[in-house]
This record gives sequence, C-alpha cells and structure tokens, in this order.
Amino acid sequence: MTVYESDLPGVGKKFEIELDDETTLVVVIHNTGKRELFRREGDEDSVKLFELSDRMARQIGTILEGAYFQPIATDTTETMLDDDSLLEWIKVTESSELVGRTLGELEFRSETGASIVSIQRDEGTESNPGPETVIEADDTLIVLGTREACRRVESLAGSDMSVEADAEEDDT
Amino acid sequence: MAEILFELGLMLVALVAAATIAHWLGQSVIPFYVVSGMVMNPFVLGRVEYAPLSGYAIELQAYITLLAELGIVFLLFFLGLEFSLDRLFDSSEKIGKSGALDLVVNLPAGVLIGLALGWSLLEAFVLGGIVYISSSAVITKSLIDLGWIANDEAGPMLGTLVFEDLFIAFYLAVLSAVLLGGGELATIAVDVGVAIAFLFVLVSAVHFGSEYFGRFLDTGSEEMFVLRAVAITVFVAGFALTIGVSEAVAAFFIGMGFSGTDHLHDLERRLIPLRDLFAAVFFFWIGLRTDPSVFPAVAGIIVLLVLVTTPTKLLTGFLSGRIYGLDDRRSVRVGCGMVTRGEFSLIIAAIAADAVVGGAVLTEIVPAVAVGYVLVMSVLGTTFMQYSGLFERFVVDNRSAATAD
Repeated sequence: MTVYESDLPGVGKKFEIELDDETTLVVVIHNTGKRELFRREGDEDSVKLFELSDRMARQIGTILEGAYFQPIATDTTETMLDDDSLLEWIKVTESSELVGRTLGELEFRSETGASIVSIQRDEGTESNPGPETVIEADDTLIVLGTREACRRVESLAGSDMSVEADAEEDDT
Repeated sequence: MAEILFELGLMLVALVAAATIAHWLGQSVIPFYVVSGMVMNPFVLGRVEYAPLSGYAIELQAYITLLAELGIVFLLFFLGLEFSLDRLFDSSEKIGKSGALDLVVNLPAGVLIGLALGWSLLEAFVLGGIVYISSSAVITKSLIDLGWIANDEAGPMLGTLVFEDLFIAFYLAVLSAVLLGGGELATIAVDVGVAIAFLFVLVSAVHFGSEYFGRFLDTGSEEMFVLRAVAITVFVAGFALTIGVSEAVAAFFIGMGFSGTDHLHDLERRLIPLRDLFAAVFFFWIGLRTDPSVFPAVAGIIVLLVLVTTPTKLLTGFLSGRIYGLDDRRSVRVGCGMVTRGEFSLIIAAIAADAVVGGAVLTEIVPAVAVGYVLVMSVLGTTFMQYSGLFERFVVDNRSAATAD
C-alpha cells in the first residue's frame, strides 16, 4: 500500500491512498480539523464522498481499526506466505530468556527453525540482524518460518499472543 | 458612547447582508464586503435625499480604521503562520520556477501599464504590485469549495501563492518605508535601512527563537493563550509602525515564528474567527473610504488593467501547471484559478492612500483603481473557476484539432 502525503499551505494536509490500479482515495485534513474524503478514478476529477468533523473522524477511525469488533480471529499479526510458511510479529517480554543475549549465542535459527527478518524497537527497525545483535526487552521480532517454528519463538519470547495490529501499522 | 456602538452594529449588519448575498450567488465575500462599505459611506447613503435614511451613513472614524488595521495585521499574521520555509525548500525547484515566472510576467505588466499612463516609476511600481498579487484567501476558499483541493491542480496554485506571499512581505516592507517615510532620497534610504534592520532582527528571532515562541504560549488556560498570541502580534506590529516599518510585514514574521511551534493548530483554531471578523471590517473600511463617483474617471485604466492582466495570469498559471507536469486541462484550471486578486492588492492600495511622497496619483487615483480592479477581478476569478470547464474544453479541443491536422 502506498500513501502519498503532501502539504496544502493554508489548508492542511492531503493523503492519497492507491486502492487499486485505477482508484485513489484522497483524504484532506483541514487545519480546522475537518476531514474530507474524495474518490478519484484514474485521471478524472476527484469526487467528494463525504466530510467529517474532527470528532467524528476519530470515532470512525477507531471503528475501522477494529477496536470494538474484530471481524475474524486476528489475535496474531501474521502474513501467510504459502501453505506452511508465515511472517509473524512477536513481542519480547521483559521476563523472556532471550533478553540480553545475541542471536549468535542463542543459535537462534538452528534452535527454533525460524529466522529473524528484522527487529523493531523504539529507535527504529534493524533489518537483517546479524549474530552479534542483542535482543532487548520490548523488541518486536519479525520472524519468518513454519507455524511450529514461529510457535517456538513465541514461547521463548514469553508472549502467549503476538503483538496486535499496532506493530504492523508502523510498517505501512 | 451609545452612538458608536450602534454604528458598529450597523456596520456588522451590513457585512452580514453582504456575506449572505455573496453566498447566495456563489461568489467570494470580499467584493461584497467592499461594496457594502461603499453603500454605507457618506458619498452614497449620505447623499440620499431622504433624510432619515441618509442619517445612517457611516463616517470614517478612527475606531473603524483601528479595527481595519487589525484586519491587515491578522491577515498577514495568518499568512506567516501558514507559511513554512521548509515547505518552500521541499519543492523549491517547482515553486521557484512557477513563482519566478509569475513574478517576471505579472509585476512588469502592471509597471509597464503605469509607465504607459505617464506615471512615475514609483507609482508604476505600486500598480505592478497591485496586479501581481493573487488573492490567497479567495483562491484557497474556492479550491476547497470546488473540491479541486483533492486534485493535482492544487499543487501549483498553492505553491505559486506561497512564492507570492514571501515576495509580497518584502515588497510591502520596502514600499511602506518609501511611501510613508517620505522626504529626500537620503531619508528614504535610512527608512529602508531601518525597515530591513528591524526585519532582520525579527527574522533572526523567528529563526533562533522558535522554542521561546512556543514556550510563550505554553499556558494552561485558554484565555491566556489567545491573549498572549494577540498581545505579542499587535504589540510588535504596532511598534514596527512607530519606527516606520510596515505593521503587516512585522505581523507576517510573528506568524512565521509561531508556525514552527506545537501550537500551530491551536492558533489556527482560536484566532481564525478573529481574523475573519477584522478582515471583514478591513474590506468594509476600504469601501467606506471609496467615493464611487471617482470610478468613471478611472474606468478606462481599470478596463485596461483587466484586459491585460487577466490573460497574463491565465498564461503564467497555465505554464505553472505545465511546470508541475499537469496535462492541458488541469493547467488551464491553474490559470483560471490564479486570476483572482483580492486582499493584498487592497492592502497595497491602502498604503498608497496614506503616502506622503508623490501626489494625487498615489493617494487618489491608485486606491480608486485598486478598489475597482479588485471588485472586477475577484468576481471574474471566482467565475472563471466555476466555469473553468468551458476554458478546458476550448483548449483541449484546440490542441487535439492541432494534433489531428
């Protein structure tokens, strides 16, 4: 998903989200807090869908996010790559035995059968971590492996459930 | 005094009536505010034969001038607030190109007309500023009303306006130093020097002190917030005026100082009502000091300006669209959009009206021309935007006919 953000001097900000090849969703956020939503087909003019006050926009945004109702069981954030491998976001708890150890010491890949694609922490994302990388509490590991391999990482990381949607948002 | 309060009420009622008619016609409020001031002034309402009615004519009084002055200060304050140097540098190449093109065509167009009328270079330079500067207020409002804000044509239009706004800040600084200072060339040089030095101090304060600007507004209470923001703006603008520097430009830089702080959105939310109120009084005040009977004498100049500077803006707008890589149709829209002139042309005219140098051309002819010109151009520009489809079809058909041959 690509989001284009641009400034509108004196008005606010504009976000353009490509829904598919033809259709773009345009969100204009006014400095006054008003939101306007437009739909644009190819080169055509944008057609205004509706406008929302700041308050309504936040409320509706929360509904869309799934805060009140999760349509399907998405207690783990995962992406199926094919039938038996998946990409999963796993949070490391403070009490986890992984904390403070390097990937080399842990022999992570041979122990779990999964590889860490990248590690998200407060200061940024470390892609492709090497054997000298130290795992810290509150890291979010993005792990690639079979379902069983991912379960093993989850139990080592000390979280029964993987992190919910908030980790994935950073990525978009 | 009760009469003053009643007179103020009368003025506001006239403004409400003007705004209602403007909305009903789908036009910008600015020309209607100006006309309402013109209708209520002693030259029009005051000359009505029927005495009870002519008694309601509003004399130009100091308090109206003061409120109008606040209108200028807040208009420029918001211009600064919504102006960001980072934004300018982010897309500096495109903004620079389209802004420079706009400047080198439209400003000289006005100057040349002035010179052709036999005016002095200074008078022609004032006329150049009046026809150069498009109306940020009206154009931005129309962009939102027509939904163009979500389309690609919003980029070059808002970009060019940013360039114009920055230019006009310096233009006003120099112009008011020259026109209001008066006297010998040496005095003018000193005045311009003082203006530039003061602005340099302000710009440095803005550049290095944005943290202090932010902290100044870090107050728990809402009343304190508004009071502080208004106090610093009016105080600095007023001080600038006492040392012969344009209050408008000072307000612009104060606004710019606040634009980098976390309070940007709060300022916009809380001070926009103040700006809209005082700006309405400013346009009323412009009307109030205009005697419509001068229009016949300057009608020829106004027609000439409209005939020359409408096509020049259409052309530079169209080319700006092309600089931004837009197709013909959207570039035509950019051209139609940039035609509108408004608040800044009137601010320049107001400075000219108070000029102590030069003669009747600056103090009488230029203001009358500017008011008539803005009345025509604001209505024309808004109409062009509403019916841009006609222009788009015309240009696109012609282009495709040309390629078919």
